[in-house]
Amino acid sequence: MNKVLDFARRNLAWVLLVICVIFFSFSPNFLTTRNILNILNQNAYVLIAAFGISLIMMSGGMDLSIGYLMSITGVISAKMMTEAGIPLPIVIVLTILIAIVLCTLNAVLSHLLGIPRIFITFGTMTIYQGLSYVISASKTVGISSTAYKFIGQGTLFGTNFSFALLMTIILGFVVSFVLNKTYFGRYIFALGGNKDAARLAGINVNKMEIYISVLAGVFLGIASLVLTARAGSAAATTAVGTEFTVITGLLLGGVSIRGGEGKINGCVAGILIIALLGNGMQMAGMNVYYQYVAKGVIMLATIGFDTYQMARRKIAENTRKEEPAKKEG
Amino acid sequence: MAILELEHITKNYPGVVALDDVSLSFEPGEIHSIMGENGAGKSTLIKIVAGAIEASSGKVIINGESFDKLTPALAKQHGIGVIYQEFNVVPSMNIAENIFLGDKTGNAISPDFKKMHKEAARLMESLGVHIDSHRMVGDLSTAQQQLVEIAKAISKNCKVLIMDEPSAAIAVAEVENMLRIVRQLKEQGVTIIYISHRMDEVFEISDRVSILRDGRYVATKKIHEVSRQDLINMMVGRELTESFPSRNVTLGENVLEVRNLTGNGDFNINLHLRKGEILGLAGLVGAGRTELAKMLFGDVRPASGEILVKGNPVHFRDTSDAIEAGIGLIPEDRKREGAFLEYSIQWNIPSMSLRRISKATVVDQKEADRLADEYVEKLSIKTPTVKQLVKNLSGGNQQKVVVAKVLAAQTEILIFDEPTRGIDVGAKQEIYHLMNNLVEQGMSIIMISSEMEELLGMSDRVMVLYEGRITGELSRDEFSQSRVLELASGLQ
Repeated sequence: MNKVLDFARRNLAWVLLVICVIFFSFSPNFLTTRNILNILNQNAYVLIAAFGISLIMMSGGMDLSIGYLMSITGVISAKMMTEAGIPLPIVIVLTILIAIVLCTLNAVLSHLLGIPRIFITFGTMTIYQGLSYVISASKTVGISSTAYKFIGQGTLFGTNFSFALLMTIILGFVVSFVLNKTYFGRYIFALGGNKDAARLAGINVNKMEIYISVLAGVFLGIASLVLTARAGSAAATTAVGTEFTVITGLLLGGVSIRGGEGKINGCVAGILIIALLGNGMQMAGMNVYYQYVAKGVIMLATIGFDTYQMARRKIAENTRKEEPAKKEG
Repeated sequence: MAILELEHITKNYPGVVALDDVSLSFEPGEIHSIMGENGAGKSTLIKIVAGAIEASSGKVIINGESFDKLTPALAKQHGIGVIYQEFNVVPSMNIAENIFLGDKTGNAISPDFKKMHKEAARLMESLGVHIDSHRMVGDLSTAQQQLVEIAKAISKNCKVLIMDEPSAAIAVAEVENMLRIVRQLKEQGVTIIYISHRMDEVFEISDRVSILRDGRYVATKKIHEVSRQDLINMMVGRELTESFPSRNVTLGENVLEVRNLTGNGDFNINLHLRKGEILGLAGLVGAGRTELAKMLFGDVRPASGEILVKGNPVHFRDTSDAIEAGIGLIPEDRKREGAFLEYSIQWNIPSMSLRRISKATVVDQKEADRLADEYVEKLSIKTPTVKQLVKNLSGGNQQKVVVAKVLAAQTEILIFDEPTRGIDVGAKQEIYHLMNNLVEQGMSIIMISSEMEELLGMSDRVMVLYEGRITGELSRDEFSQSRVLELASGLQ
């Protein structure tokens, strides 16, 4: 029994997800392959973005700019495709490059100004927002290329299973591999666990933060491509709110707001919970403004729970402190 | 009647007795210095008087009124003022606002700024200082900020002013002015408790001096009844309480040489370290020892000078270069800078060697685990499993994990910064044995330590730093506690 409880505690997000699924399956149309795949396809871009941001959060950073970052990237991408007539492969590469530059800019500014990334991205978020409107001229940029659209809409094996979903799964394994198997991944956890100790262990913290941003930028670029292709168009508001969904999902999935903790499978579960709740609220015909309220409550509850656990651990540590000293020798 | 008395004050921290049954009394209008080595309990004492921490037992009696539980507010209310080494000023406010911070002037809605500035000007004037009270405190020099602190204390009608190392932060030329003000306050009937490492000042200004040693009260003397040598003897006068294991090492050639190194608060440092040697670095807190260590480890770039490892000049861009060159640092604060507390032993030990044991960026997990097992065994780290989180280990074992991490990175020159701080006696012995084993295996150690016995018991040679400069070098046959303390206090 203890083992079961322990397992549940470590995989809280999955437990919650299962509960959500059970709950929603009372609705007749929910537990169909079609609906489930729909939800997954819809959220492919959120998952891909979350993989990128998880790297930043696990290393102890935070990025609020990703929503508008993806919007601006999407708008430029659509413009390159539709108005400049650049060939698709080049558009794809350039789109990812733009995301890398914008994402890395956050890290560089944070380093240069000596201000935590969260505040930097608070500023760049607004800059990216403004630029998205300027570049798109507040209009929606349509995409006619079917090849481009395939990235977000294409399905495989004659089923509802989308190309984007396949990509998501592959990228999930990639990011999981990077985190768990490479020294780069270990360094990410080292940064998140204790930046001073990381520096004194021979890790160039500034460089690492740049590298992490570059990698996160790749994911954000791909996420932006998927989103734009799925929508078949891009506008300044296309990806707005993604930052909120991603951060809430990651926190739910066990990524600590202080960094140093988290697993990719937990992240997936966390994002899917948010997705399911969104889907459920929509199906129940809930007013969209109430949905905001609900999402906000979930976010605060998650952070509260994270902090509460932290505090409990601290108390447990303090009461333990005197005892091991005696055991010494 | 005494204005302030301490009766049988004891303060316990887990595993450490910071103050042990200390009784002291202070007369009105005297300047009473308190001296003692690092860790003698001076800071703990003033914090208890200020109400910042609570004594485990004992009483503080202010003006005849006895307190078992003193809070900062109560202490202030009863005329205790403290000027800590770190000033409590708000840089973005002007002098008057700082002086009257938290006081009610004017009506309920807005403070009476006119009155505040007038009052502030009067206070500064009475100290013989002429600075416009409208100036931002952040724009002032450290010495001037200190004066603002003093004015603040006086404005609160302080009867006892505690000054913790007041001369440490300010320039030599400004010390004279500060001392003049201190004397003036004394004439106004304020009792000054003056804490300082500097003999010159203590002799110049004090009426009486009390000595603490290892958390215990040693003596209180009238200043003209004692000599410097007496004070030093009282501060260190103890038998060696710990025994130090002997070792059998033949010293080899120089593995590390430092020539005219300057930067990070240190000036013109010259030193060398031989293979198999333990070089002790002595000095008071703030003498520049940790700063030197950080330069040698590539964490801070020197402004000028040369570092040679095994005869080859090196230029470290960051700590990874130093590790590559075979230098390892075991930091002073193992919890903040040494270990990854939230992670396991198995995670910690290979964390400095990951690049070396990776193939095409993929960590060789087997090799990582083997390293962890090897060093847990080698350093006899006591733990039920290598999966144990480091934060759950005792201090001594945490320190061993940090050492293991550094050794696993194949380093040969180890810098131990306060290797046994906060570790109990049994574990200290183990760390000493470990250090002996390391030099017997041909490694070389620079040991920074504030514990005199450790320094003299473990080192082959001791260098003493004072205010960023090397003031002396002692070989084993010249070792004496008082000589080290003299050099560390800037006396020649």
